[in-house]
Amino acid sequence: MGEFIQFTLNGLMAGTIYALIAVGIVSVFKATKVVNFAHGYIIMFGAYFYFTFSVIVPGAEWAPDWLQSWEPAWMVAMKADLPMFSPMGAVLDWLSNLPRILLGLTGAVICNALLGLLIERTLMRPLIGQSTFAMIMITVGLISVMSGTKGLIWTADAEFVPHIAPNTPIRLNLFDTPIFLFGADLVNVAVALLLFGAIVAMVRYTKSGVAIRATAEDQSTAYSMGISVPRVFSRAWVLAATTGAIAGAILATRNGVSPSLGLFGFSVLAIVLMGGLDSYVGVFIAALTVGFLEAMAQWQFGGEFAEVVPYIAVLIVILIRPHGLFGQKEVERI
Amino acid sequence: MKQTRRTFIATGAAATAALGMPTILRAQPSEYVIGASLPLTGPFATAGQLVAPAFTLAEKLINDEGGIGGTPIRFVTEDSGYIPQNALANYQRALATEGDALVAYFGDSTGFMKLVAPELTGDQARLMGSTSFASELANPATNPYQYLAGPSYQDQFDILLQNIKDAGGSNVAFIFSNTEFGRDPIEHGKMRAEELGIEVVLEESTKPQGADIPTHVTKLAQSGAEYAILQGYVTGVWPQLIGGARQFGLPTQFMGTFWGMEKLIADRVTAEAGPFLDGYQGVMPYRYFYDREDAPRYQLFAEAAKEMFAGTPLENYMSTWTLQTMCALEIAIKALRDTVEGGNEPTPDNLAAALSEITDWDTGGFFGGPVTMADNKIGTGRVYQYSTESGLFTPTSDWFTV
Repeated sequence: MGEFIQFTLNGLMAGTIYALIAVGIVSVFKATKVVNFAHGYIIMFGAYFYFTFSVIVPGAEWAPDWLQSWEPAWMVAMKADLPMFSPMGAVLDWLSNLPRILLGLTGAVICNALLGLLIERTLMRPLIGQSTFAMIMITVGLISVMSGTKGLIWTADAEFVPHIAPNTPIRLNLFDTPIFLFGADLVNVAVALLLFGAIVAMVRYTKSGVAIRATAEDQSTAYSMGISVPRVFSRAWVLAATTGAIAGAILATRNGVSPSLGLFGFSVLAIVLMGGLDSYVGVFIAALTVGFLEAMAQWQFGGEFAEVVPYIAVLIVILIRPHGLFGQKEVERI
Repeated sequence: MKQTRRTFIATGAAATAALGMPTILRAQPSEYVIGASLPLTGPFATAGQLVAPAFTLAEKLINDEGGIGGTPIRFVTEDSGYIPQNALANYQRALATEGDALVAYFGDSTGFMKLVAPELTGDQARLMGSTSFASELANPATNPYQYLAGPSYQDQFDILLQNIKDAGGSNVAFIFSNTEFGRDPIEHGKMRAEELGIEVVLEESTKPQGADIPTHVTKLAQSGAEYAILQGYVTGVWPQLIGGARQFGLPTQFMGTFWGMEKLIADRVTAEAGPFLDGYQGVMPYRYFYDREDAPRYQLFAEAAKEMFAGTPLENYMSTWTLQTMCALEIAIKALRDTVEGGNEPTPDNLAAALSEITDWDTGGFFGGPVTMADNKIGTGRVYQYSTESGLFTPTSDWFTV
């Protein structure tokens, strides 16, 4: 039972991060009807921007020492008395990394927002009014462009980045089984939930959100009602790119920075299809389900199955409900 | 038959033609060529770019030593992007352009070595070393022209498991990437562990990159493993796994195989993430480059590198990956020299025969002592331990030969 709880928690924590990734795909789809196949690569860029601003820039010769590692006298004194890898040591390590973590997050969010804006302005906007299929194909082409560009800017090596929260170990005993949790993972989950909730609330209750929903319903009508559809498109892409930057940073802290982060987008795309392309709630449930199934498969059958079992479930759901768990059924009138 | 002047001349001409034919067909080339595919771009570009200068260095040293029986050697390297099909195309191009002068080839991956293996027949065959330690390749019956420049991954597991046994260990976890590279020694390792009375308490397969570290660390923690052997990684996953385990205060002793034993990676991880690789152990077939007091060949490399690579990282340190390439080239050169100096043509079959006859060879310090090529591999290595304070891997065991 204890092990079941352990893997359920692991799965749900992974699921919330999938949900944060998925929110970008849903936001773009809701506003523009474009399924962004390149979203994983936007996340990968977010992770590499975080790496750039939290590791490369602070390590540069011209950067002040405190940016790389802020260690006032009191902290040095405290660290000296602590054993290696102690919980308090983890908190102090995080504190000394805080300047570069903040720089990393700020840099990643700004750069990714600019990236989202660039994609929308140069690749999507010229196609407004054209077939959605053409726009989707552009996102497919974007995968190669972004993958190649990444290779030109950064190395292909797996790199370390600082955790965005103290990675204090948490140990519990449940049903005579030790339960292990990482402190940083709990904070990651909280950040992901907060962001997810804020975006859903924004789409539901703010003017911008109403504009997104109206555009999603019918672009022409939205235009005639005075909504600037291009601006809605921009906002959706910027929203997807900025949440992608945070998701990328979180993924980088959990799994390291590597080109494989781009592939997460494909897994999450399956989750989005399972939940319903235009349903935040559906996607949230699907993300938690896939996270849970992955953890269970990992626990019971091992790593090879963890990559297969959840997606079989996704396929089954799509076969039964082609528009996803909570997706809006499209009725084509001829 | 009556011997007339006419039949005598005809017979003489035929005999001369028959004797002279091999010389005409396989004339002594003005130079020997060794081709190579390297991952200068792609996921292992860092390793490829560190290895590439080794060819320049090897070419200079070998030619300064008189080449192969007086004939100079030339290396031809091309980028593969770590894509086996690209490497195969490079090999075929080298065969077409260099012809018989191409006497050996260096591949960049297990994938390429397996892909090219069926092609290595007749005119298309060449002696072939690589970056791979895949156990399947060490089989002269099926892969007569291919060799490993050290122990196979299965041998490396044997060395580690023996070391665990010698240290009084009773259980072990195997953590490996879900790739051919990762899975290679697992079944063999389980059998060997059983023979040694070591219980395998966890077999954990992970993604080769971007693995879910918290879940894997949790499983390791719950397994209660005293030792964990990591297999199938190069720059990623293994340091994160160790980092996660250390943060949880797990006492597990981590061990790696060749590709997880590079000092440059361990130093970088220490600089970026802290000292959690302290005490990490693993098997290395070769001495590290800084341990060259008893390695005259390394001393020669160091002198040449100081001059040739001044101002680059290679000036003072040669990575384990570069050493592996240098060792593979030295083996090819040894087989070539033994063949040519024995008065034989450097045909693939003659070279393969020379390869299998390498016995008690003094490599000049790559290995702990004289080595023998058995089953197209050199099954020797020892266990090293990393210290974050010194930034060095130092030996913790004697040399094992398996």
